[in-house]
Amino acid sequence: MALQSTKPSLSTQGKKDTNQQVGQHVVYYACKYTPVELLAGFGAKARLAEADVSSFDEADRLAHVNLCGYGKGLIVRMLQPDVHEAVFVTCCDVIKRAYDVLKAQDKFDFIYMLDLPHKRGQAEVRLFRERLRRLAEAYAEYSGRTFDVGAALAAFQPPLPRTDERVTLVGAHATKAVLHAVGTDLGCKVENQTCTNRQLLVTPPPQLARMAADASCSACDDQVTRTGDGADAGRAGGSLDAFLDWYADALLQQMPCMRMDDVEPRSQLTSRRGQRGVIYHTMKFCDYYGFEYAEAIQKENVPMVKIETDGTSQSAGQLRTRLEAFGETLRGSDVAKEVVSKRGVSRKGVYAMGVDSGSTSTDAVIMDAQRNIVAQVILPTGARATQSAERAKAQVLQQAGLDESDMTIKVATGYGRDNIPGMDSSITEITCHAKGAHYLAPQVRSVIDIGGQDSKVIHLSPDGEVVNFVMNDKCAAGTGRFMEAMARVLEMPLDQFCQEGLKWKKEVKISSMCTVFAESEVVSLVAQDTATADVIHGLDESVARKTATLAKRVNAEPPYLMTGGVAQNEGVVHALEDVLGAPVQTHEDSQLCGAIGAALLGLESLQQA
Amino acid sequence: MASPSLGDRVIGWYGDVAARNLEQHPGFVRGWLMTGFRAMQAKTDHVPDRTLLPSGNEGYALFMDSVVDALGDVDREVITSIFVPNEMFHAMGLLPVTAEAVASFASGAQAEGAFIANAEGRGIPETYCSYHRILMGMALSGVLRSPRLLASCTVACDANNLTFKALAKHWGVPHYYVDVPEDVSAESIAYVADQLRQLGALAEGTYGKTLDSDALVQACQRSQHTMRLLAQTLPARRGRYLANTMTIELMQMLDFHLSLGTPRCQQLAQHMLRDFGNAKRFDGLNLVWAHVSPYFLATIGDQINVVPTAQIVASDMMFDAVDVATQPLYGPQTPYEFMAERLVRNCFNGPSTRRAQRLLELAQQTDAQGVVLFCHWGCKQTAGAAQIIRTTLEDAGYPTLVLDGDACDRQNCMPGQLGTRMSAFLELLQNQKEGADGPSEH
Repeated sequence: MALQSTKPSLSTQGKKDTNQQVGQHVVYYACKYTPVELLAGFGAKARLAEADVSSFDEADRLAHVNLCGYGKGLIVRMLQPDVHEAVFVTCCDVIKRAYDVLKAQDKFDFIYMLDLPHKRGQAEVRLFRERLRRLAEAYAEYSGRTFDVGAALAAFQPPLPRTDERVTLVGAHATKAVLHAVGTDLGCKVENQTCTNRQLLVTPPPQLARMAADASCSACDDQVTRTGDGADAGRAGGSLDAFLDWYADALLQQMPCMRMDDVEPRSQLTSRRGQRGVIYHTMKFCDYYGFEYAEAIQKENVPMVKIETDGTSQSAGQLRTRLEAFGETLRGSDVAKEVVSKRGVSRKGVYAMGVDSGSTSTDAVIMDAQRNIVAQVILPTGARATQSAERAKAQVLQQAGLDESDMTIKVATGYGRDNIPGMDSSITEITCHAKGAHYLAPQVRSVIDIGGQDSKVIHLSPDGEVVNFVMNDKCAAGTGRFMEAMARVLEMPLDQFCQEGLKWKKEVKISSMCTVFAESEVVSLVAQDTATADVIHGLDESVARKTATLAKRVNAEPPYLMTGGVAQNEGVVHALEDVLGAPVQTHEDSQLCGAIGAALLGLESLQQA
Repeated sequence: MASPSLGDRVIGWYGDVAARNLEQHPGFVRGWLMTGFRAMQAKTDHVPDRTLLPSGNEGYALFMDSVVDALGDVDREVITSIFVPNEMFHAMGLLPVTAEAVASFASGAQAEGAFIANAEGRGIPETYCSYHRILMGMALSGVLRSPRLLASCTVACDANNLTFKALAKHWGVPHYYVDVPEDVSAESIAYVADQLRQLGALAEGTYGKTLDSDALVQACQRSQHTMRLLAQTLPARRGRYLANTMTIELMQMLDFHLSLGTPRCQQLAQHMLRDFGNAKRFDGLNLVWAHVSPYFLATIGDQINVVPTAQIVASDMMFDAVDVATQPLYGPQTPYEFMAERLVRNCFNGPSTRRAQRLLELAQQTDAQGVVLFCHWGCKQTAGAAQIIRTTLEDAGYPTLVLDGDACDRQNCMPGQLGTRMSAFLELLQNQKEGADGPSEH
C-alpha cells in the first residue's frame, strides 16, 4: 500500500446547493469543538442540531437503539429537509457513528468530519490547526467563498464571568426542554456547563482585529498586497493562516469535555467556591458523564443531584420531582416559608393535614400542634388519583371529627400532589419522606423506599435533613410493579407471593433485573420444576441487589428504615439485610411516611410564619 | 432450557462464593479467584481438550498463561486496552494484560454480577461496556491489585479513555493514553509513533528497566512474521473443519493482541496454519463473526461450537490489522512507526466503512456463507455501525445477522431469543446454500 496524502472527510455528494444560490449558508453541528467562528469567516451560520421529538424511530432503524438520546436526536434532526450542511467532530463514539449513518444517506450538500485530538499539547495544536485548514479549504471549495477574518471575529462570543451562589448544570448535552425544566422546577438561576455549551476562554489578539480592519479599509483596492501575507497566499489565505495560528489553540483550550485526556480543569465546574449546587445530567449510553458523576459523588462536598434523560421531549417532564426536591434541599428552611398559610387558626386548635398521592395508595394524616397523629387513612389510588385523594381527605377528616375548615394548613406530596384540590402547597415526596422517617425513627440515617413505580434511597443527616437522594430510572426494575408482575407470572396473589418466598430452601439466582428478561428467567425456572419459594426468594434477592446498588450511590449508612409498599414483603427486607450487611427496620406506619412528613412540614411552616 | 451441567453448577458455586465475600473480604476473593484460575491454567497445560485442534489447545494455554502470570505478578504487569501494541512491554520482560481478558476471567468464573453491581453501586453507568464495568468493579472492590502502569489508546472505544483514567486516579499510578488520528497518513503515523516513544520512556522509568532497541526490533520482526502467518491462515480456512468454539476463537484473538511479538504467539500462528492445512473437510456453514461473542451461551454455542453444521471461520477482532501484514508501509526496523501503523490502519479506527470493508474481505477470503454481527452491550461504535455493516455485506451477497447481547454479562443476554435467531439464520443460510429460498432476518 502506498501512503496517500490525507484527504478531508468531505462529501459534497454532487448536489446543487440551494442555500449557496440564495447566499445563505447554515451549518448544523453537534459538538462544542466545532469551529463555528471559522465557518462564520465563510459567511456560514452555525446552529446546534437537536431534535425535540417524541421518538427516535428513524435513528433506531438507521443505527441502533442502544445509542445515547443526543446521538439519536441528532440523526433525526439532521435528516430534516432544512438541513443541507453539517460539520461533525470526532468527539465520542456515538457522534462518530451518527456521522457515518448520515453520510450514507446521501442527502447533504456538505458534510464533514473534523478529527479532534484527545490531547491539548503543542503537537496536537499543530495537528488540529492543519485539520482546521483542510476544513476551511473544503468549505471554500464547496461554497465558492473566501475567508473573511472580520466575519470570523464578529462571531466570537466573549467569555462569560461566573457568578457566586451559582447552581451549575453539568454533564451531557441538555435539550431545550431539559434546560427549561431545570430553569423552572428548581426555582433559581442555573448556569449551563453541559458538553455542548460552547465558550472560548480567550479573546482574539489585537493583531487579528487590525487585520480585519485593514481588510475592510482596503476593500476598495483588491490589488493591495500587505506585508506578511505572502505573494502566493493572497489576502484570504494570509488572514486565514494568521487566524488559525490563534484559533486552533483557542478552540482546543476550551473547558475540556470529558473525552479529553486531561480533564483536571473540569473540577472548577463543581468546586465548592461560589458553588451552591450542581445538577448532573446524564443520558443512558453516554459513558462520559455518567463516569464523571460517579467520581463527583464520592466527594459530596457540594449539594448535587443527578438527572437522567433519554433525549426525548417527554423525558424532561419526569425530572420535576427530582429538581423540586433538589431545590427544596438547596433552600433548606426556605421550604417552610413557602408553605406559610394565609388561613387563620380554627377555634378547635392547630391542625395540619398531609396527603400523599402515590401511584399505588393515597394516604392522609392529620396532626395536631404537638405533632401527634390525630387521624390517618390509607386508600388504594385506583384509576383516578384526584378522586382517591378527595376520598382520603374526607375519610381522614371524618375519623378526626374535624371539618376541612378546621385545617390550619394542608400539604400535598406524591406523584399526584399538584392535582389534589384545596391544598395549600405541595412538597416533593423526597423531602416529605425524609421528614416522616425522622419522625417515626429519629435514629435512622437512610431511608429505602420502594413504592409501586419507583424506588429511592434518601441519605439523612443526624437531624433528619436530606443529605443526598437517588431514585431509580423510569424502568420498573426493582419496584413494586416488578414484584407484582412476577407474582402474576407465578399466578399468585401478591400476599401469598410474599409469604411463599419466606419458605425458600435453595439458592436460585435471577440475574436479570429487567422485568421482561426476568419473566423469561422465571418461566425457564418454572419449566425446570424449581420450587416456587426458591424462585421468589431469587426475585427478592435481585430486588435487594438493585436497591443496594442505589444505596451505595448516595453513600447510605445504617440504621436503615424501609418504607413503601414493598416494605411489607419480609423476603425483600431480609434479602436487603443480607446485601447491606446491616439490619433494615420497618415501621408499622411506614406507609404513612410521606403524609406524615407533609403534615410535619406544614406545622413547621406555621411556626416560622 | 436444559438444566445446568455439573461443571456449570460447580463454577456457579465457585463464583457465588466470590460474590458473597466481595464486600467484606476482597483479599479472600482475590486468592479464591486466583486459585481457580491457576487450576484452570494447569488443566489446559495437562489435560488438553481432544475435540480441539492442537493449535486450539495451544491458544487456550497461551491465553491462560499470559493472563494468570500477569495477574500474579503486579510488579511486571501492565494493564492495557486491547489495541495497544505490546512489543515494547514484551521487549522489557513486562506482562501486558487487557481489560477484556481480565473481565473474561471473572465472567468465566460466573462472578461478573457481583463486580458489576459493585461498579454500578459506585455510580458507573449500567449502560457502560460490561468488560469495563467488570474491570472497574474488580479494581474498586480491591480484588484486582494495582499494576505499576496503565496504557490505553483511542481506537474503538471511549471506555479506554474513561476506565483507565479512573483506575490511574484510584490506584495512583501513571496512565498513558495514545491518541490515534482517524486519517491514514504519514503525519498520523508519525504522531502516534512519537507517543509510543513516550510510552516506552514512561515504562522504562516506571519499572526501572531499559528498553533495548534490538530487543524491540526483534519483537516487531516476530509481530510482522506472526501477522503474515495469520494472514496466510485465511485462505487455509476455506472448507476446513477448524474445530473451534466461541471461547477458543475469543482466546486466540486475545493472544494475537496480548502476546503479539513473543515467540509463543508466532508459534501459535505457525501451528494454526499447519493445523488448518491438515484439517478435515468441512461441509457446514462458515460464519464470519464481527466483534466479541457470548461464549457462555449454550443456545448459540450448541449451534456453532465443534459441530459439523456451522462454525466461526474468522473474526474481525483477530484480523483487525491484517492489511498491515500484507501491505506494510513501515517495517520492524522502524519499530515505533511499525507499531503506530497498526493502530492508525486498524479497521476499528475511523469510519465504520473500514470495518465493513474488512468483514467483506474476510467473508470473501474464507468463502463464508454469512456474517454475524454481535452488538455487545455498551459498545456504541459497533451498535452504531450495525446497519451500515449489514447493508454493505448484504449488498455484496453475504446475509448478515445482527444480534444484541453481552459477551461477558449473562444478565444482558436472552438465551432463548438469541438461540432462536441464530437457528433461523443458519436455516436461511442452509437454504441458500442448497439453492432454496428462506425467511429473511434483519
